[in-house]
Amino acid sequence: MLRTEQLCKRLDSFCLREISLEVAQGDYYVLLGRSGAGKTQLLEVICGLTPPDKGRVFLDGEDITRKKVQDRGIGLVFQDLALFPHYSVKDNIMYPLKLMKLPLRERVSRVQRAAEEMNITDLLLRKPANLSGGEKQRVALARTLVTEPKILLLDEPMASVDASLKDSIRRMLRRLNRNGQTIVHVTHDFGEAVSLASRVGVMHNGSIIQEGTPAEVFNHPANRFVARYAGFKNFFRVTFVKSYNSWSCVTDNRTKFRLAKGEYPSSGLLIIAAGEVLVSRQGAAGVQINNIHGVIDDVVPSPTGYEITVSAGDIFYADITHRGMEEQKFVIGEQVIVSFRPESLRLVGNGEDKKEY
Amino acid sequence: MKGHSLFNWIFAILASLVLLFIIAPLAGMFLDSSMGEIRNTAADPVVRRSVWYTLAIAFTATILFAVGAVPLAWIMARRKFPLKNVVQGIIDLPVVLPHTAAGIALLGFLSRDGLLGGAAQKAGVLLVNNGAGIAMAMAFVSLPFLINAARDGFAAVPERTEKAALMLGASPSRIFFTISLPQAWRSVVSGFIMMFARGMSEFGAVVIIAYHPMIAPVLIYDRFNTYGLSAARPASIIFILVALVFFVLFRVLATERRQIFRREDDATD
Repeated sequence: MLRTEQLCKRLDSFCLREISLEVAQGDYYVLLGRSGAGKTQLLEVICGLTPPDKGRVFLDGEDITRKKVQDRGIGLVFQDLALFPHYSVKDNIMYPLKLMKLPLRERVSRVQRAAEEMNITDLLLRKPANLSGGEKQRVALARTLVTEPKILLLDEPMASVDASLKDSIRRMLRRLNRNGQTIVHVTHDFGEAVSLASRVGVMHNGSIIQEGTPAEVFNHPANRFVARYAGFKNFFRVTFVKSYNSWSCVTDNRTKFRLAKGEYPSSGLLIIAAGEVLVSRQGAAGVQINNIHGVIDDVVPSPTGYEITVSAGDIFYADITHRGMEEQKFVIGEQVIVSFRPESLRLVGNGEDKKEY
Repeated sequence: MKGHSLFNWIFAILASLVLLFIIAPLAGMFLDSSMGEIRNTAADPVVRRSVWYTLAIAFTATILFAVGAVPLAWIMARRKFPLKNVVQGIIDLPVVLPHTAAGIALLGFLSRDGLLGGAAQKAGVLLVNNGAGIAMAMAFVSLPFLINAARDGFAAVPERTEKAALMLGASPSRIFFTISLPQAWRSVVSGFIMMFARGMSEFGAVVIIAYHPMIAPVLIYDRFNTYGLSAARPASIIFILVALVFFVLFRVLATERRQIFRREDDATD
């Protein structure tokens, strides 16, 4: 459906580098990256607001790289929504329909349909200045959707929405996608990507550094940057050692881990989720379990309980529930043992790439 | 707190002195003229004709030159191009020129030996000593007020709304008339008022282009030269009052519009 071929664009102090991506009909593609990664610039190049220096954009097999913005059949909802402040909600939604020179009856019916779909029928006579962030978001979506775009581009659609309203916007976007609307959604929020995407592309410094389904990307991050985005905090650069058909590794700080069966390169970066690290006073039982002695450095409240930082040569982060904390009553400076299963350790990328993001 | 109070007093006194400097001569002029003199002057057909003539020409000049000035303001706000600073300097030039020098420059351009004047004469139109010349003199010195105000207005329009309109299928001209201009309207109107006000009060450039037909500032000067201060004063008062009425009227219209916008902004907050 949408395909870009090696798109390059140099802007003042930033450039998009050889961006090639494919979005299939009905996909919900989320472009994830920090601010300044080039996500918005990429959207503007795709929809034609900014011409690329190099590369091509195809929509339904047609090369639209040089096509006029108005004729591409792409809808874009800007981060700041860009509602027309001097028009009512109804006139905002009507604006593109007037340009399409549709008969009045058809225009009115389309506005009504879009308003009902977005649940804004009671707002039609209001001016944008009198709307909340969530209402504005729905009006901006309605205004774009009445044009029946082949593909809908959303630039940080949750940015101006209160946390309490984000769920309803998410539900609405999922419904749109289920009804067949292909969506490319730009965000910096990992949670948004996980909850909405059928495919994810992670952008960094003007390049897409990893792409795939959310499970592929977040369970098997290709590099430290993506792993951090996926919420990993425990990183260990290690050298792998094989002896008598079993694998182990030694971190740069000389901590030794047992590893699960498999094949490993000579060195690489290992990660482990904080939820898979257990902190206790007596250690965990089991032949293969890694038990490492250390001292609690810090205990910080987290949304689900507490995050404990343990210094054991390397630094380990472990999550513990409120209940677990009430039972164990860990304190800073206490001697503890961090335990984790070898299977919980994951190799980042192919292990050989030492490029840091 | 005491220091703060002293600061307020000093500033209040300094501000009052400046306001007094503006008000005192005008008040003196009103106090030194009797109602009878003012009434007689107001009934004088020459004075009446002159005042209406001044307003009509200033208004016409503002409207006509706005046709080009508003697009120029939009270009200055939205486009990047080489020597943009030089163009901005050219726009501001009439503000810093002595107005009589502006009049001399215009005379060379509009007289029958000049570039535009010569071409106009071939078409049977004279640009000196008539309304067309006066309008051009007024516009020459007052255009920067409209262009700069409108430019600031267009610059304040969120570019994203223009891009959104483009994404929704609008042509550039449609975007200008339906998105950019309506949002910049209050600045354009404000510039319009300033250009109109500045144009109708112009003397230096106009008197060199056309002593006759007499616009109000030239008439006041003529009365002063011919009959002295006491004859010029009532004519001045009449013109000031009429100009004030128009100025305040336009300002009120613009302010009401601004307050509507502000109410909408407040509602968002």
